[in-house]
Amino acid sequence: MTSTTTRSRTGTGAGAGAATRGPGLGRKLTRLTVFAVIAAVPPLLFDSYWVFLAAQVVAFAIATLGLDILYGRTGQLSLAHASFMGVGAYTTYTVSSYGYGPAVQLAAVVVVAVVAALVVAVPTLRLSGLRLALVTLAFGELLAWVIRNTTDLTGGTQGASVDPIVIGLLDSSEPVDAYLIALVPAVIATVLAAHLGRTQLGRRMLAVRDTELAAESVGVAVARTKITAFLLSAVYAGVAGWLYAAITGFIAPPDFDLFASVYLFVAVVIGGAGSVLGAWLGAAYIVLVPELFTLAGQPNLYPIVGGALLAIVALVVPDGIVGLGRGIGRRVRRARDGQEETA
Amino acid sequence: MTTAAPAVRTEGLTVRYGAFRALRDVTVNLPPGEIIGLIGPNGAGKTTLLNAISGFTPIAEGSVHVGDRDLTALGARRRALAGVVRGFQTVRLLERESVLTNVLIGTERLPQPSALAQFFGLPSQRRAHRRDTAAAAEVLDLLGLAGQSHRRVDELPFASRRLVEVARVLVSSPSVILLDEPAAGLDQEGRQELASVLTRIHRNHPSTMVVVEHDVDLVKTLCSYVIALDSGAFLRDGTPAEVFGDRQVQLAYFGRAAGADA
Repeated sequence: MTSTTTRSRTGTGAGAGAATRGPGLGRKLTRLTVFAVIAAVPPLLFDSYWVFLAAQVVAFAIATLGLDILYGRTGQLSLAHASFMGVGAYTTYTVSSYGYGPAVQLAAVVVVAVVAALVVAVPTLRLSGLRLALVTLAFGELLAWVIRNTTDLTGGTQGASVDPIVIGLLDSSEPVDAYLIALVPAVIATVLAAHLGRTQLGRRMLAVRDTELAAESVGVAVARTKITAFLLSAVYAGVAGWLYAAITGFIAPPDFDLFASVYLFVAVVIGGAGSVLGAWLGAAYIVLVPELFTLAGQPNLYPIVGGALLAIVALVVPDGIVGLGRGIGRRVRRARDGQEETA
Repeated sequence: MTTAAPAVRTEGLTVRYGAFRALRDVTVNLPPGEIIGLIGPNGAGKTTLLNAISGFTPIAEGSVHVGDRDLTALGARRRALAGVVRGFQTVRLLERESVLTNVLIGTERLPQPSALAQFFGLPSQRRAHRRDTAAAAEVLDLLGLAGQSHRRVDELPFASRRLVEVARVLVSSPSVILLDEPAAGLDQEGRQELASVLTRIHRNHPSTMVVVEHDVDLVKTLCSYVIALDSGAFLRDGTPAEVFGDRQVQLAYFGRAAGADA
């Protein structure tokens, strides 16, 4: 029996299946092909507005992948994830206003995101669940307050125009170029997040999420694991903010407020916590579904329908869209499992 | 990886839960390299003693030594890294993850590459990964779980789930192994099998292994040394024959608890 059949029988995407070995070569090629085909659709078939949205999906996917590391795998509830996107976006704005290009911007974003994450994570080590969420919320409000009161530096409530990223022939003010520019870090972020499930680091996170007692009993440093997850998630969010700023060309405090953080959280839950694919589906959901409602002339319906959908997902399919698909797959497979195992 | 099995010694160990003294001035010597049965009726303090040795309960008075190291001041995690690894009476697993993931968690004690090296999949990470999966495969095979390694833990029957936890403890070949009723929930055949597996693992990787167990026959087959507790106090230690032949032990253990503990 090959690794492909055994792998698919495992638990959450966070690590269960991926624990032994990576996917086999055949499966890797299949995934690569599927990804390439899907990735090629927007620039080839869509008009430029939808390519612009697709680029945002790609940027948001990096953010949801990061939140999935923190919430889906490590079980830490943060309501400041959009704020960390904001940290990335405003760092980009500041650095680019001095005339520095994308490489310097990215480096600055990573450094500032790490520092900001340490500021939030270290004092909150003993908190978890709702109490942690409340403190992260306070951080988000603090950041919004800082931006509102530093109009000279950040544009304040009026927002700020951000220069496009120019790399060679690509210019992020062109939707197709923005899409292509965003795709590269997003692919790297995805591959690394998927690989995390095959590392002890990733397993530590799952252990901290599920049973801190067992984690400690084998020597896992619970606090250090939480901080690492927070740092990784903040860097992911920061990079997403960097791309978001470049793609939209304009940033303002509401882009990164509490509601934005809640939407990222919704994305992770609806897509499927603990799953790389779920993070992508969630990102597509929070960017595209509001557009569909606007297109249908009913933009006000989105919060209502979205809220109802979240409630349904939380109650009926706690593992999100990915979990739903897996559940069906498992049921189908269970029927033929017996034969396979004796074969 | 495998250090020689150390002696474990507690001296004047007292553990309080409020006004209740769960352990009273317990001094025991666990001989190095033996499989030691820890027996006593319910409430005797067996689990509390494991908790105190592994750092999972605060010690009011007394000390815990492993080899010539005083571990009293160390937390649970540090003791695990020092080679003292325990299982729980109530199985604690990552329910939605695979058997293999649950066992691999136990490799934390082995030298692991830095978080960044792991995250970026550097060669050191790949080497550690190969070493850890090989260790996990070996212990899963010994425990008869090899065919289940990709199953989700919450899909397994209770007895197998307990074995997964035993596997998580054993995978890093700790020098002091503390198992809290590993045979609970197993049928007679499963108990004998577990005993022979533990014996085999103990022979391959020398350790000081403490097993809390009620089944007298199992203790006699598995253990070369027995310590009896009663009401939070030390009662008797010695060979199985000596301890089970002791009048006080018989009174405390069989007299009161035979029915309750079955």
